[in-house]
Amino acid sequence: MIKVDICVGSHCSLVGALNLLDNVEALQLEYPDQIVVNKVECLDMCDDIKNAPLVKVDDELITAAQTQLVISKVMERIK
Amino acid sequence: MSKLKGIYTDIVKIRRMVFAEIARLALKDAECEEFDKIPYRIIDTEEATYRSSIFKERAIVAARVRMGLSMDYASNQEHKLLSEGIREFLAEEGQLKEPLVNVIRFACEKCPTNAHFVTNNCRKCLAHPCSIVCPVDAITIEENAAVIDQEKCINCGKCKAACPYEAIVNYERPCAAACGVNAIESDEHMRAKINHDKCVSCGQCIIACPFGAIADKSMIYQLLRSIKAGNDVRAIIAPSFVGQFGPLVSAEKIVAALKKLGLNEVREVSLGADFASLHEAELFAHDIPDKQPYLGTSCCPSWTYVADKHVPEVKENISESSSPMIFAAESVKADNQESEVVFIGPCVSKKLEALSPKVKDKVDYVITFEELAAIFVAAGIELTKVETEAEIEDASYYGRGYANAGGVAAAISQNLKEQYEIEPEISRADGLASCKKTLLLAKAGKLAGYLIEGMACEGGCVGGPGTLLATNRGAKYVSKFADQSPYKFAFENKNLAKDKN
Repeated sequence: MIKVDICVGSHCSLVGALNLLDNVEALQLEYPDQIVVNKVECLDMCDDIKNAPLVKVDDELITAAQTQLVISKVMERIK
Repeated sequence: MSKLKGIYTDIVKIRRMVFAEIARLALKDAECEEFDKIPYRIIDTEEATYRSSIFKERAIVAARVRMGLSMDYASNQEHKLLSEGIREFLAEEGQLKEPLVNVIRFACEKCPTNAHFVTNNCRKCLAHPCSIVCPVDAITIEENAAVIDQEKCINCGKCKAACPYEAIVNYERPCAAACGVNAIESDEHMRAKINHDKCVSCGQCIIACPFGAIADKSMIYQLLRSIKAGNDVRAIIAPSFVGQFGPLVSAEKIVAALKKLGLNEVREVSLGADFASLHEAELFAHDIPDKQPYLGTSCCPSWTYVADKHVPEVKENISESSSPMIFAAESVKADNQESEVVFIGPCVSKKLEALSPKVKDKVDYVITFEELAAIFVAAGIELTKVETEAEIEDASYYGRGYANAGGVAAAISQNLKEQYEIEPEISRADGLASCKKTLLLAKAGKLAGYLIEGMACEGGCVGGPGTLLATNRGAKYVSKFADQSPYKFAFENKNLAKDKN
C-alpha cells in the first residue's frame, strides 16, 4: 500500500493542498487497492511558507509539493 | 464555468501571497516603505519565471498590492514609488471605491478576440463540409488547407461542428468567454478593457484569465487595522464557508479561529437567509400575481445588477427584500450598536453591495474566504489546531442551503408551501449568462407567476470567485452542514424570534 499524507493545515491549504488533495484522491479511485490518502494536521515545518504544501509519499517528504510531482512519485510505486 | 475554477495555479499562488503580505504588514502596522519590498519578496528569483522580464513580473505584483489595499489601478506612465501612492491613499480616504474589478493593463497578453481559425489538423479533404455549411461563404479551400476569411466570418461555429478532423477551433478570450454580460471589450492596444457600464462585478473574469491580468480590490488592510485599533469588530460568515479552509477544519474551528484573530463574535449569514426567505415568501404570497407578475430573489448582488444595467424593465419585480447579508448585519448591529461588521464570503460583488447607500452603515468590510485564508496564515493561526467552542446553531437547514444553486428557491418555496399553501412554479438562473437570459424571458412575459432564483456564479455561491475549493466539493460540504442544523424550516428557527425582539 502506498501511503500519501497530505498536510491540510492553514499554510498548505492556502498554497494548493486542497487542489492537490482533489487530484490525489482522483488517482486513488483508479488504484483503490494500492493507494491510501491521509489528510493530516499541520506538520510544523512551514515556518517558511516556501516549504508548503507538505506531502509525504510513504516516508519520502516532499516540500513545496506540486500535483505533478506528487502524482509521479506515487506512480513510480504503483505495481 | 471557467476551466480554471478550483485549479491551483501560480496565478492563484501569487494572488494569495500578495494578500498574505498585505495582512502581515497590516498586523504589524508597518511603515509604507515596507510595501515596496513585497514585489521582491514574492518574485525572489534572479531571472524571470513567468513573463518577458522579472521587472515586469514585479511591476504586476506591485499593481496587485495597490488593488489589495483598495487603491485604484494606476497607469504606468508616471514615476511613482508604490509606497508614495500608498501613503497618499491612506492619508486621504483610504477606502474602496468603484470600479471594483480592474484589468492590470500591462499584464494583459492581448489574446485574440472571438474568432474561428483553421489549425494544421486540416487535411484539405475532398468533402470539405466546412465550406459547404458556412452561411456567409467565408471559407475557401486554398493550396494547403481551408482558410477562413475573418472579414466575412460571423463566428456561428457551423464549420467547427462539421469538420471531421476537429481542425477548426474557436479562439475566445477566456475573460470575455467567462463574462455573461459581454462587458469585456478592447482598448486601443487590443488589451482587455472592462466596460463598467455593463460590468456587474461578479468576478468570474478574475478566475478565468490565464495570465492573471484581472484583479478586484480588497479590504484586508482596512479590516485588520480596525481590529488592531481595538474596535468592536464582528463577523458574519456566508453559508458557503464550510469546508473552505480544508477538510479537517470544521465550521466551529473557523469560528474559533476568527475569534482568535480578534473578532468579538461570528454569526452565520444563513441566519439572515432565514429572515430573507420568510420575508420573500410573505412578499410572494401577498403580491403575486395581483400586484406584480413574478418575484425575483434578492440575495445575489450581481444578479440584481444584471437587472439594473441590462434589463431595467424587470427591476421592480426583483425583490426589494434585503439580502441575507443585510439581515445578518442588522441583527448584529441591533445587539451591538457601536460595532463594525465584516461580511466574509465567496463573493466579489458583495464588496459593491456594501458600498451602496442602503448598506454602507450596516456592513463595514467585505472580505473573501481566500483573503481570510491568507490573513490566518499571516496571523500565524493554524486552523487544524485551534480549540473549538460550542456548536453553532444559528440557522435552519434551508437557510444553510442558500449557498448552493437551487437553495434559495427551495427555501422560499418551502416557506410558501408550509405557511401559505402555495406551490409556485420555479425558474432558476444559474450563471451570469443564464441570469440575463432569464430576465429577458421575464420581460417578455414568459414567467408570469414564477418565483425566479438568480445566481450569477455557476453552482451558486459555492462557485464564487472568492472560494478556495472546487465548486462541487464546496457544495457537498454545504449540504452536509445543512443536515446538521437543529431546525428544518426558517420559521422553526428559534434565533429569529430572539432577534426580532
